[in-house]
Amino acid sequence: MIIAERKTLKELLGMIDGCSRVLILGCRGCVAVCSAGGDKEVAILASALKLGLTRRGKKIDIEQRTLVRQCDPEYIDPLNQDAADFDAVLSMACGVGVNFIADRCDKVNVLPALDTTFYGANLSSGEWKEMCAGCGACVLHLTGGLCPVARCAKSLSNGPCGGSQGGRCEIHPDVACIWQQIYDKLSGLNRSDEMKNIMPIRDWTSAGHGGPRRRIREDLLP
Amino acid sequence: MKAGSNLENVLRSGAFAVTGELGPPKSGDLGLVRKKARILKGHVDAVNITDCQTAIVRMSSLTAGLAALAEGVEPVMQMTCRDRNRIGMQADILGAAALGIKNLLCLTGDHQKFGNHPQSKGVFDMDSIQLLQMVRGMRDDRAFQCGEEIKGNEPRLFLGCAANPFADPFEFRPVRLAKKVSAGADFVQTQIIYNVEKFARFMEMVRDLGVHEKCYILAGVTPPKSLGMARYMKKFVPGLDVTDDVLSRLSDASDQREEGINICVDIIKQVQDIPGVAGVHVMAIEWEEAVPEIVKRAGLSNRPDPKGIEPVLSSSQSIEKAVEDARKEIRIELEEELERAKTEAQASRELVIKEKEKIASEISDLKKQVEEARTMASRKEAEVQKLTAEIEMAKKELEAKQAAAPSAPVPEPQPPAAPPVPGPAGPLTGREQRVLESLNLGLEALKTVLGLDDTQFEALRRFLEAEFMLQFGQAPVPVTPSAPAPPAPGPAEPQPAGPVPEAAPAPPEAEALVEEPVKPEKPARNKEVVNLVAKGNLALHSGDYNGAIEAFEQALGIDPEDAKAKAGLAEAKAALEKAISAVQPSESEESEGLLPPCPEGVDETWWKEKWIIRYTARGNVAMMNGDYEKAVVEFEKALSLDPENGKAKDGLNRAKNKEGIRIPEAAGAPSVEEEKTPEPAAAPAEEEEEEKEEEAEAAPAEEKPAKPEKAAEEEKKEKPAPEPKAPKVEISAPAGEGVSDLSVTPLAKDEPPLSERAGDIPEDVYMESCSGMIQSVMLGDGENAFSVGGETALPFYNFEGDMPNPPRVAFEVLDSEPEEWPDVLTKYFSDCLSDPAEWARKCVEQYNAKSICLSLVSTDPNGADASPAEAAEVAERVVEAVDVPIILWGCGNAEKDTETLREVTGRIGDKKVCLGPLSDANYRTLGATAMAFQYPVVASTPIDVNLAKQLNILLENLGVHLDHILMDPSIGAVGYGLEYTYSVMERIRLAALTQQDDKLSCPFIVNLGREVWKAKETRLPSDGMLGDQERRGVLMEAITASALLLAGGELMVMRHPKAAALADALVEGML
Ligand code: SF4
Ligand code: SF4
Repeated sequence: MIIAERKTLKELLGMIDGCSRVLILGCRGCVAVCSAGGDKEVAILASALKLGLTRRGKKIDIEQRTLVRQCDPEYIDPLNQDAADFDAVLSMACGVGVNFIADRCDKVNVLPALDTTFYGANLSSGEWKEMCAGCGACVLHLTGGLCPVARCAKSLSNGPCGGSQGGRCEIHPDVACIWQQIYDKLSGLNRSDEMKNIMPIRDWTSAGHGGPRRRIREDLLP
Repeated sequence: MKAGSNLENVLRSGAFAVTGELGPPKSGDLGLVRKKARILKGHVDAVNITDCQTAIVRMSSLTAGLAALAEGVEPVMQMTCRDRNRIGMQADILGAAALGIKNLLCLTGDHQKFGNHPQSKGVFDMDSIQLLQMVRGMRDDRAFQCGEEIKGNEPRLFLGCAANPFADPFEFRPVRLAKKVSAGADFVQTQIIYNVEKFARFMEMVRDLGVHEKCYILAGVTPPKSLGMARYMKKFVPGLDVTDDVLSRLSDASDQREEGINICVDIIKQVQDIPGVAGVHVMAIEWEEAVPEIVKRAGLSNRPDPKGIEPVLSSSQSIEKAVEDARKEIRIELEEELERAKTEAQASRELVIKEKEKIASEISDLKKQVEEARTMASRKEAEVQKLTAEIEMAKKELEAKQAAAPSAPVPEPQPPAAPPVPGPAGPLTGREQRVLESLNLGLEALKTVLGLDDTQFEALRRFLEAEFMLQFGQAPVPVTPSAPAPPAPGPAEPQPAGPVPEAAPAPPEAEALVEEPVKPEKPARNKEVVNLVAKGNLALHSGDYNGAIEAFEQALGIDPEDAKAKAGLAEAKAALEKAISAVQPSESEESEGLLPPCPEGVDETWWKEKWIIRYTARGNVAMMNGDYEKAVVEFEKALSLDPENGKAKDGLNRAKNKEGIRIPEAAGAPSVEEEKTPEPAAAPAEEEEEEKEEEAEAAPAEEKPAKPEKAAEEEKKEKPAPEPKAPKVEISAPAGEGVSDLSVTPLAKDEPPLSERAGDIPEDVYMESCSGMIQSVMLGDGENAFSVGGETALPFYNFEGDMPNPPRVAFEVLDSEPEEWPDVLTKYFSDCLSDPAEWARKCVEQYNAKSICLSLVSTDPNGADASPAEAAEVAERVVEAVDVPIILWGCGNAEKDTETLREVTGRIGDKKVCLGPLSDANYRTLGATAMAFQYPVVASTPIDVNLAKQLNILLENLGVHLDHILMDPSIGAVGYGLEYTYSVMERIRLAALTQQDDKLSCPFIVNLGREVWKAKETRLPSDGMLGDQERRGVLMEAITASALLLAGGELMVMRHPKAAALADALVEGML
């Protein structure tokens, strides 16, 4: 899932400064799951903004709404009619939603309410961790399902660097060394010999270094 | 051998290698790198140059590595994957290898989080293992990472990697090292080892994998500088296992540093014993001084001789050293050259002295011979007298006998052997026959004694016969003086006589000789008189005029009416007078003769001409000074030497009429040419003074003659007006169509100064003063020496600065008769083309040359290829003939010129000449020669600012001062690249004046005559379209000269007198 995190109130207040009518637009997708932009978070943000503006001696008209998804035209396109008269639409979807609204709704002034952070998993209530970087050339089959691209500080391909100590990454004791984990995992699977193979230098074009990525499935095209 | 680095060599040799580490500074201070490198040099085999270790920005490892390399320390360049993607890395690898780096240590790199820019984007395009693969591919497969071929030099690098035996997972560490080795690592340097026991275990595993056989393993060690440092490392440096033992050793030590070194040495000794360890990597970070001590104590000081350390770029020190070496070399070479030049000069001088001595002895020999000849001659004279007396006696006897036998028939002198003698035929008596035979025999004897040739003898005989006939009343035989050659045994002029017979055999039948009958009835002329007249005639025809006069006078004393004697006397007197006037003008007002004795070795005709010119010139000078009487005297002197001299006549007329002299129109730097004659010492100075005053008054005086219409004035200029001023008086054009008058109208000089003309415009608007200065070069020596250059402004920008020395014209004289000069040029020198000395003299005396450029064209190997000795001989004569500065210009063939000019300098020694052209091919030899004699030189280059500068620099490095250099920029005549010449000269001059480029600050010598006169426009004959040939040539030369004067030319080598006069006038007018 896409993990995101709401921007600070201060930042958001700055964004809508001067607006008199604002629509806060939530998403019931990933951001709702990771508690960053669902109905609940929309309501909280609306109240917080009102409060903040009031404290600054300003008064604005805030409307709240939450779409099923903001990454689908079906839900976005109506905004062209009913959101055009807002001074700003504060989207609480991931960056995909914000981009999509901006793409499709000419008249809408869309603003991001969240920082979209990573593709992660929910470790426990309130804790999410990066698991994948969407590199477009997955190597997990070689690494015991553990991603060295996303989870190694240096995105190494061939085993732990000289800074790995006690299972911890050299960059911080709180960070696990993924290569230690990969080693352990493969050892546990009796696949530790695979670590002797040299993983060739990577092609980063699929990781976005070859330009914006897109995917086409011919059979589904209209 | 993969890269041939020193480290590779050491490791391959099996020696225990030692590497060090050098952290580049966090600044651009290369000095720190050099300092550290020097500390490590000689104690380690190679030095790792870290690549922004701990992600702190430092000088790049490539740069610092090159600096170390330049210090003679082999770098192991470290390269991390953190900061560059594959593009940047490969680029640096290519550059590093190209610049002589041969070891590359491939690292992943510390995460940027540790450094001073934690916000940066870590690149990590690849990891260290992939980096090794990539570089190995570049080296061994000559391919970039993308697979593309490296065309050209591939990076030859000895590849290293790091290994941390103390990182986790421990068991994986040897495997990872094996991966690195299989990816391309040739050597490995481990993390700092304190835990030797763990390292030993690691090594065991490594050996199990056989890795130690595939790569060289260097154990990393670091002396802990202090307990604090050790603790810090333990705590904060990931993957570093500092043992408690180390900590306690340090804490117990009284001198922690010392103990740190000891710990390090101990560890080295321990790891040395571990199989598979090929060396140690001593990392004394910021404590490089410890390394030599550690290495020493570890017993590793004997480092193998470094191999393969070759900096491609040089350190400043090595550059300095190279420069120093080169200088030394040049200096030595130069000294040798100088020495050689000196010896040569010395040798030549000695040769000259010897030669002189030889000549002196030859002369004295000759004198002796002359003396002998004289003695012999007087002896002969005595003999002649004796013989004459005998003949006389014989005659008398004959007369006596005749008187005794009056009835004897008239005898006919008919010498049998003689050519038919006019006279009546008739049988001779036997006696007469005998007498005549005897007479002839006597005469023959006389002939032998006197060494007379047949004609002389014949003449003598005819005289006698004539006398004979006169005596005896035969048909008068005219004794004409037109005899082919008079018998001439004059005592003053001894004929170069052949061997003279010791004693002339006395005529055998002397007593019976003369029995010729004398006609008693016709004693019209006294016999004595006749004899005297004959003697007189004899003397007259032998050139002894005084003797002749004496004889005739004696004859007249006896018979005052004797017509022949009278006529003879008159003739003798006339001849004498003529001789005197020719040889020694009589009216010597002072006791000295008009024509001083001609110096030895000087052609008499020339000497005379010279004095005619001199007197004429003096007359002109006197006339200009208003001293008409003196002028008359001088002109008369000239006329007495040459009554036909038109100039002197003209001058005399004007002096007598007190017309004065018209102020010269030719303004070209007037100076008295007569001064140039070799010997008058006191007079010239005076005359010069006079000249100067004259000059000062010249301009106003000129205005005085009634101002005619402008047109008329112009017309006048066209005419060959009588030359006004002394030096110009001598300038005359040989008859010809083109240029009838060599004088030049001076430019008007009465312009108000620029500041006035500028009116209200402030000075700084149009003034642009220069900060540079042109060198002043002295040419020649003696009173005619002059300097060129010295300007502080652009040419003739007198309002901006100084132009202390006027540009000068040097006349070009060839050392052999010019082959390709057009007639319009040669006609001025037609009388002296074959004699360069005479030619030079004419240029100076008649055409006002201030300097002579002797072109040694005959030496050209592609031409006449005259030997250096021949050329030197000519040069020597020219140098002796004129007193103005001389430029000796070689043929342009560098080698030949070197020979020729050296030969010349050897001959002329200290006499200051200027040598040229010096090119980059012979500047050393000729420069040295010139320095030995302190001659100025001509630095000749193709037309290019930089080449000119380069040659000056070379000459200066050699030791030739810039004030002894004239630059010959190589010029083109008008229509033949003049504008390019102008532009280059202008740029050179601007660089010298405004950019203080002192290497370009030498004056220009502009050899333009040869360029102009080889242009076809000067060769084509006169025609309707191109006009007069001479006028065309003169204008081309003058225009070229004017343009190049404005471009900065200081010494103009020219050919045509008129063009030279025009150039002079331009200079005069503009200064
Ligand atoms: S390898 Fe790439 S795709 Fe696979 S988990 Fe890691 S980042 Fe995601
Ligand atoms: S310690 Fe492990 S996770 Fe951290 S950078 Fe090194 S290899 Fe990657």
